[in-house]
Amino acid sequence: MTQFDFGVFAGGLSEPETFTTHRARAWERYSDAPFPTKKSEEWRYTDISKVDFDTFVAVTPTEALDANLPADVQEVLDQSGERSGIVVQRDGRVAHIELDPKLAAAGVVLCSLQQAAASHAELLERALFAVTPTAAEEKLWTLHLALLTGGYLLYVPKGVELSAPIHSFRTISGPGVLTATHSLVYAETGSKAAVIDEFLSPDLDGEALSLHGATIHGDANAKIEYVALQRYGRGVKHFSTQYIAAQRDAQLVTFNVALGGDVSRSEVNSRLLGPGSNSEMLALWFGDSKQHFDHQTLQHHAAPSARSDLLFKGALTDNASSVFRGVIRVDVGAQLTDAYQTNRNLLLSKGSHATALPNLEIKADDVRCSHGATIGQVDDDQMFYLLSRGLTRQQAERLLVFGFFDEVLGRMPMEGVRERVRHAIEEKIGL
Amino acid sequence: MAQPLLVIRDLHAKVEDDDIDILKGVDLVVEPGNVHALMGPNGSGKSTLAKVIAGHPGYEVTSGEVLFQGENLLEMEADERSRAGVFLAFQYPAEIPGVTIANFLRTAVNARAGKGEETDVFAFQATLAEKMALLKMDDSFATRYVNDGFSGGEKKRNEVLQMAVLEPALAVMDETDSGLDIDALQIVSHGVNTLTKADKDLGVLLITHYKRILNYVKPDFVHVMMNGRIVESGGTELADKLEAQGYDWLQEAAAGV
Ligand SMILES: Nc1ncnc2c1ncn2[C@@H]1O[C@H](COP(=O)(O)OP(=O)(O)O)[C@@H](O)[C@H]1O
Ligand SMILES: [Mg+2]
Repeated sequence: MTQFDFGVFAGGLSEPETFTTHRARAWERYSDAPFPTKKSEEWRYTDISKVDFDTFVAVTPTEALDANLPADVQEVLDQSGERSGIVVQRDGRVAHIELDPKLAAAGVVLCSLQQAAASHAELLERALFAVTPTAAEEKLWTLHLALLTGGYLLYVPKGVELSAPIHSFRTISGPGVLTATHSLVYAETGSKAAVIDEFLSPDLDGEALSLHGATIHGDANAKIEYVALQRYGRGVKHFSTQYIAAQRDAQLVTFNVALGGDVSRSEVNSRLLGPGSNSEMLALWFGDSKQHFDHQTLQHHAAPSARSDLLFKGALTDNASSVFRGVIRVDVGAQLTDAYQTNRNLLLSKGSHATALPNLEIKADDVRCSHGATIGQVDDDQMFYLLSRGLTRQQAERLLVFGFFDEVLGRMPMEGVRERVRHAIEEKIGL
Repeated sequence: MAQPLLVIRDLHAKVEDDDIDILKGVDLVVEPGNVHALMGPNGSGKSTLAKVIAGHPGYEVTSGEVLFQGENLLEMEADERSRAGVFLAFQYPAEIPGVTIANFLRTAVNARAGKGEETDVFAFQATLAEKMALLKMDDSFATRYVNDGFSGGEKKRNEVLQMAVLEPALAVMDETDSGLDIDALQIVSHGVNTLTKADKDLGVLLITHYKRILNYVKPDFVHVMMNGRIVESGGTELADKLEAQGYDWLQEAAAGV
């Protein structure tokens, strides 16, 4: 295998110079940063020491892209309801973008990040390149920036509302592929945006790597619904780092759904930057065989009178495992904060294992904060009740998992978004 | 004569991790189409019998046999018993937040139909609506979570609704009448009577404390359970006698164990 040459890789991309500069800087930081190890609190339960990132890097595809919609994407679109636009990224590169012309006329922008680097340089500077990752995420965040070939910008101008979601897809075609993509969602004052980022691939007979970043910005009074629906096939390792910023009175809902892949890690950082802002953070995962899910969250209250509410639920069977590590951080000046954090785990087998680590770092004194975590099994009375109605043990279990998840689904405001996720979960659980 | 629906012979059972039998030799035969009332004081073992028939894993049969349509019921898992036609209306039904009645019942109906023969969604909805109307349940019930936040009466009606949809051959109804006001009692009784009328072979084991429901659902036989055994059997006149005299006169029979 030939050694990956960053200079050759970067030189082969035609993009605005600012982009190349940031890319080179990210590569430098990546090269300097130490690999995350199990010694750090954030990576204690997810071991990536055996992932050889260089091997993947070397095979970034270069051939021309087919702009037609892939069959698996078309299948999902056929099942889904209304949408405002579509983005398709194949093996980490943007292959197809379409946007409702009425929205385009209203000033909504949906384009690749490369295009955005030319047309919205200042926005990228502010919203994407200015992000300072946590020490724990430095390595993978900078790698995703250095190798970024895919990604899109959704920009919704002042007062414009999307009534249906943008449906974005990322597909991986085979083993050995590394994808580095980013979702930049920027909703201006009083606007409304909704996005489903769907990740999919067939089951692979080798490994592939998905590096994903998202920056979600809501200006004053903006409303955003953001869903990351991870349903990769086996063989894929997925790492997603998300930064969410809520200005005054912004209402942001983020929903991470992890169903596929071998290892799936999402770091969700929410920053409450303006009074009256609200961040609803939701997640669901269902793991079987030896799947491993890792969720790291931060609810950072930098402004007073803001609210954050986190509800993460996971169900595991076979030998699957999961970690939830959540931090509520309230700055000195962030009085009248409401911050809630709940993680619930349902274990369906003896071999499954869940870890929950809630943390509070509260520096203000007039706040309402609560956190709670539970790890439990199926309730015997509920199980017998369902069996006594003729459901097999497996059917009963699945129905109970579905019931367990329903509370989270019910919190998604947009019907179409809710239905898409419900359908994907049904498919995974096999109801 | 057709074979009996249910035959219970000298049934002994106990709680799984306990030594003493709760059921101490129950004998009972239910023929198709018959309604048997099972009465008896609190703690006599009525619910235990119901749960043993349904296959509750918390109870262990120590001796005796239970045949359902000639088959050894005790060898079947709870879900197999249900699919074979045994139904238990629970005294204390479980609450299942997040699962709607419609979703739950459709899954149960499909579990009976088997793979590839699932009922059509619209046909199912029509059946459900019809049965809900029978029990005077509002349409919105279908989308409520199973028993979650239900009043006592709503839970009992929901049990009868499930019985109506699943169409069992044998229904064991454990105090479905308790906690119901007179209106609800009449609705539930009307539901049960409609089902027995529609299916002439439906056998019912109606467990109750009170004679009240027997004014609406006419039993063919009345039994009294005390101390883990059936100590007296008769017709409706037995229920009248129990109402007038209580259970004291049976103490001697109950003690002879
Ligand atoms: N799961 C159980 N654990 C312990 N004791 C039980 C259990 N189920 C029933 N029993 C005991 O068995 C006896 C009969 O109870 P039950 O069958 O509920 O009576 P009934 O329904 O006639 O009121 C009571 O003494 C009760 O305490
Ligand atoms: Mg009882």
